[in-house]
Amino acid sequence: MRQRKGLLCILLAAIIVCGLSFSSPVIAETTLKIGTLSNDANQLDPHVSTKSQDKILFPWIFNGLVRFKPGSADLSQMEADLAKSWTSSDDGLTWTFKLRKGVQFHSGYGELTSADVVFSLNRASKKETSTAYKGYADFASVTAPDKYTVKIVLAKPIPSLLGMVTNYHGGYIVSKKAVEKLGDNFKTNPIGTGPFAFSEYQSKRQVTLVANKDYFRGAPKIDKIIYRYLPDEASRELAFKNGELDLIYGTREQRWVERVRKQKGVKVDIIGLGELRTLHMNASKGPLKDIRVRQAIAHAVNRDEMVLFVGSDVAQRSVSVVPQGYLGYSSDVPRYPHDIAKAKALLKDAGYPDGITLNVIITKVASLRVPMEILQAQLRKAGIILDLEVVEHSAFHKLIRQDASDLVLYGAARFPVADSYLTQFYLSDSIVGTPTGITNFSHCDVADVEINTARSEADPNRQLALWKIAQQKILKQSCSVPVFEQLIVWARKANLDYGFKMENSLSNGPILNEMTTLK
Amino acid sequence: MLKYVLKRLGMSIPILIAVLTLVFIIIRIVPGDPAMVVLGDQASAEALAALRTKMGLDVPLIEQYFTFLSGAFRGDLGTSLLSGRAVLDEVMTVLPYTVDLTIAGVLIGVVFGVPLGVLTAVYRNSVTDYIIRVFSLLGLSFPAFYSAILLIIVFSIQFNMFPVISDPDLSNYGQRFRHLVLPATNLGLIMVAYITRSTRSSMLEVLREDYVRTAKAKGVPRLVVITRHALKNALIPIVTVIGLYLGVLIGNSVLTEIVFNRPGLGKLILDALSERDYTMLQGVMVVYAFIIVIVNLITDLTYGLVDPRVKHQ
Repeated sequence: MRQRKGLLCILLAAIIVCGLSFSSPVIAETTLKIGTLSNDANQLDPHVSTKSQDKILFPWIFNGLVRFKPGSADLSQMEADLAKSWTSSDDGLTWTFKLRKGVQFHSGYGELTSADVVFSLNRASKKETSTAYKGYADFASVTAPDKYTVKIVLAKPIPSLLGMVTNYHGGYIVSKKAVEKLGDNFKTNPIGTGPFAFSEYQSKRQVTLVANKDYFRGAPKIDKIIYRYLPDEASRELAFKNGELDLIYGTREQRWVERVRKQKGVKVDIIGLGELRTLHMNASKGPLKDIRVRQAIAHAVNRDEMVLFVGSDVAQRSVSVVPQGYLGYSSDVPRYPHDIAKAKALLKDAGYPDGITLNVIITKVASLRVPMEILQAQLRKAGIILDLEVVEHSAFHKLIRQDASDLVLYGAARFPVADSYLTQFYLSDSIVGTPTGITNFSHCDVADVEINTARSEADPNRQLALWKIAQQKILKQSCSVPVFEQLIVWARKANLDYGFKMENSLSNGPILNEMTTLK
Repeated sequence: MLKYVLKRLGMSIPILIAVLTLVFIIIRIVPGDPAMVVLGDQASAEALAALRTKMGLDVPLIEQYFTFLSGAFRGDLGTSLLSGRAVLDEVMTVLPYTVDLTIAGVLIGVVFGVPLGVLTAVYRNSVTDYIIRVFSLLGLSFPAFYSAILLIIVFSIQFNMFPVISDPDLSNYGQRFRHLVLPATNLGLIMVAYITRSTRSSMLEVLREDYVRTAKAKGVPRLVVITRHALKNALIPIVTVIGLYLGVLIGNSVLTEIVFNRPGLGKLILDALSERDYTMLQGVMVVYAFIIVIVNLITDLTYGLVDPRVKHQ
């Protein structure tokens, strides 16, 4: 017995000593350790993936011909990136870009030339190689008159053309040589020209990037980035607290933000553009066919209460069916103020004096489920009962595309031009259940003409007017109820300085570049 | 002996087929779409349909089933629908982490559980017995994800002894051990609870046997009676319990791996399930089923070691 006791003591002592002896991990000063959402990379191909965990990485690895000013998502503040200058013809159909000379691709893939740009834009416009292809439908040709000049000829004018060649989705320039050489492996071995070069991908664990010492804006001050997939929010926060991470994807809740803000040496960044949470009402069946029922729902929703619940730092109430900050957003739209008596009266008019019951499918993911539960409580006051079925996230996406839910609460951020939102959510081509269907859950088709005409309208003012009419028509028809906009939350150690003010980002994450420092 | 092992392995084939069939059917009944996981929510219905064709998901189910089954028996578990990597490669990459964790969990369970169980049986209805029983009940009823977070808060955040993220470099043994301590303790606590309770009841039964009373009456020292006469005979049910609870351990290892962000089969299976990576899920289930079969076999063979009366003919 004594012997066993001794053995146990030795074992315990060994564990403790071992723990202590390794308790001060050696950290290279310029290694930035990031904890991100999700359990794995989806695809590291910028033309294909639209997943948050991948999108965050792309602006660190790739460039576009032009770029958003770091920390901004304002289309009017675009600046030169791989292109040093550009011109467009009077009719807006021909665009010529002059490239910077001497820009090098990562991993020795050589100098960037016009051939890479032609290849990238053609790749982005093909269904087989890109999920952004629809946006490039009006590109008639992309050619390279010489090694450093790219000419884009359009079939129809695209007023926001710079948005198609910026550092976002199809606009990222990839190495032609690398894509041809790596083939299918490019999706786990991305080669770009950005401040950080891809170094290693470990399935379900992490992506490692290293500084691109030859970056054309100057070598980054951070040597290495370790980008870890940590799906569990609690352990992500604990690892951050324990100093194992410098930057984490935060929880988009007021309580979380307030708690983490109080920690010493920690800064919380709340980044736009927001994801608009919209309640889409399926007008193809049941009582929702009646506009009065849809209007009743719109009046029953209490946005102020919702924002109060989600948190004023991380949410803002929304007015239109297009998120604020998008080019073409209009606040001059029909509004449905919170009014339970009016909602009840509308229901009575529609022949439902005793209220209605709707079947609603919702994901178990809290950022949608919780607001849906609040909506359920709000609508109940007007006699609208929601029979909620909570399903797994993957099942949710499948079922809502089969018209299985009367109401669909959906959150999304898109390229900040009204067209992207209107096309995907309100154009009849995008109605779910059809071959071209995307995310038009409401079966809305009242603004097709305006949406389609606006896309190629050369006069910017006329284009804005068309988008405004589209938003007005959609809301007049009560296709959906815009509820609130959810902002993105990141927390960082105070010694991490982006080098610019981080207000908005299209990548769902902060921009890291040659200006970023970790002291 | 070899004949027995082969016979047992042969008998496990129908079990494996049944498991594989169930997994194949269940994962397809649950709605979800791996194509959407790959392409994201902005993809059109056409693009999704094209990718499903590329993934081979538009082939009749029965054909998919037989392709999978025949592949599994040739040792080919297919490639992940999402990453495109061979399922077996993915499994082999994380297997050492799971093996480390499971073995350490069982070891902690045996090292602490058996002595505690003996203690409670020998001093039954005493204060020691009550205290240990209350703690083992706590161990049984504590959810693994909760105890994991408590361990992290105490040993990582407060004392800064171990890392929160348990993702060691396997070739660095010091790091490997250090990263293993907390997850293994988390799993081990559950095992300790199970083993303590089983050891206690098994020991109580044996301690009532006539030969134990005889040994005591003959004046054999108490320690010898407990260890040589009683414990040795109480071991068979304990071994069975360890084998049986390996399933429980695997279930809890999923939660432990997630909280500690430790690579492993549990994390692999959960990711595959949430992403509807059919081939990966099927592949990992084959490996799990196989592990359970092997563990059961080892448990049976261990009976022969702990009790010479058990002969494998």
